[in-house]
Amino acid sequence: MAYIVSFILAIVSYMVIDNVILSRYFGICSFIGVGNKVKSAVGMGLAVTFVTMMAALVCWPIYTFILVPAKMQYMDTIVFILVIASLVQMVGFFIKKKSISLYKTLGIYLPLITTNCAVLGVVQNNTAYDFGRSMANALGTSLGFVLVIFLFACIRVRLEGANVPKAFKGVPIALIVAGLMAIVFMGLGGMIDLGSWGLI
Amino acid sequence: MSQTGYIIIAIAIVVALVAIFTISFVAYIKTPPPAGCERGKGPNCENCEQSSCRFYAYAEERAAKKLKEEKPSTKKGNE
Amino acid sequence: MDQKQSKLRVFLDPLLKANPLFVMVLGTCPALAVTTSLESAIGMGLLFTFVVFFSNLIISALRKIIPDEVRTPCYIVVIATFVTVVKILSSTFLPELYNSLGVFVSLLVVNCIVLGRAEAFASQNTVVDSMLDGVGNGIGYTWAIAAIALVREVLGAGTLTFGKVFTFIPKVTLPILGGFKNSDFSMAMPVFKSSAGGFLVLGIALAIIAAVNNHKEQKAKEAARAAKAAAAAAAKGGNN
Repeated sequence: MAYIVSFILAIVSYMVIDNVILSRYFGICSFIGVGNKVKSAVGMGLAVTFVTMMAALVCWPIYTFILVPAKMQYMDTIVFILVIASLVQMVGFFIKKKSISLYKTLGIYLPLITTNCAVLGVVQNNTAYDFGRSMANALGTSLGFVLVIFLFACIRVRLEGANVPKAFKGVPIALIVAGLMAIVFMGLGGMIDLGSWGLI
Repeated sequence: MSQTGYIIIAIAIVVALVAIFTISFVAYIKTPPPAGCERGKGPNCENCEQSSCRFYAYAEERAAKKLKEEKPSTKKGNE
Repeated sequence: MDQKQSKLRVFLDPLLKANPLFVMVLGTCPALAVTTSLESAIGMGLLFTFVVFFSNLIISALRKIIPDEVRTPCYIVVIATFVTVVKILSSTFLPELYNSLGVFVSLLVVNCIVLGRAEAFASQNTVVDSMLDGVGNGIGYTWAIAAIALVREVLGAGTLTFGKVFTFIPKVTLPILGGFKNSDFSMAMPVFKSSAGGFLVLGIALAIIAAVNNHKEQKAKEAARAAKAAAAAAAKGGNN
């Protein structure tokens, strides 16, 4: 029971308190580039969720059961990026071949995900965790990504009609908005003490 | 196991992964997208043109070029 | 002469005119994450320069050998190899720097600038040009993140600390907005050290650059209009 509770708490913690974009800075490229369409923001977020979960599921066993016994921890980055890139390619290949509707909602975004810092960053962080916590990290991080990218797209829809100073149009105002969102999320800090649940 | 054994395993793992990656990459690029979802034509495709982090930029430009070259020839064939 | 000029351009363009961070807005993840202290930003810039220099060098040397279809996989492998080299070297010789940068050394693999330079420049140009381009981009990115880190550290901590990450230089703390001897006075704003500060500083920096560009454009327009008016007046005078 305690394990399940701590698992859920870890997911919430990674999702909102230690948010992937606003406090860990992963995936800002796609965050700024996703534009003001709420629909495409959600599509992007779902694609990132899917790929992050798959990558965490595949890379953690590879690291723990192959790289560590063979004393090749130094090769983690090159192995992870190759595994992630192959995974994205294979998933994209099947989606392209099998399902038009899935391609329309997720497949378009797959090419952008290989070079998304969030996926590699999560997998790289997971090398220090056990399996349960690394799954919580992957799920919480990607849900946090969906949450922030969705909120941000909604804000950007409103920004369209706002009278922004000329110099701030485009990326600068997006970064300022992200900064304000980060301040809001900072207020949640300390809500969950992972240490007291034996998670740190 | 000796030091050389570990080195050989490391090289074998990297070579295998590179092979898998290359094969899946070529397979992905060679598969045409479903009708109505071509690059730049999709219903929510403003993200396709995202200039940063373009992973497939080179391969896709080549594919677009090929399409352009092929189109006139197919038209001629129809006539 | 012309050749030399173009080589100089290849090196100088990424410093200012085509700066990877301030103009192209690429590589924003490390630019926000490692800029809480000036020293770690400079260290990140050095590692980045190393990676982009050597990946450009190898990729342009191999540009005629690599088959067209598998270019991107080859680039990824080359870049990942050099990132691994950088990781091993920095964790051995500069462990403090390696620990302060954390996972962002590994994330150099997916840095848009490295892959972008490989694809846009090194795959089409000679080895010497690609090396110059690599160094230029490295220095351009380094000064850009160092500038952001300077603002964030001075405003956020009130002091500038050296010698914490590069342990081979003596440890010095310069008081600027606070941290004076025998005094508790401090005007530091910790928000600039937090994640929100990074977004705000980068956003304002980009806005300042956009404002300067807008001003330049307007001036050029006005100059063109004035020249046109002068030409028209001259033509009128000629008719009379």
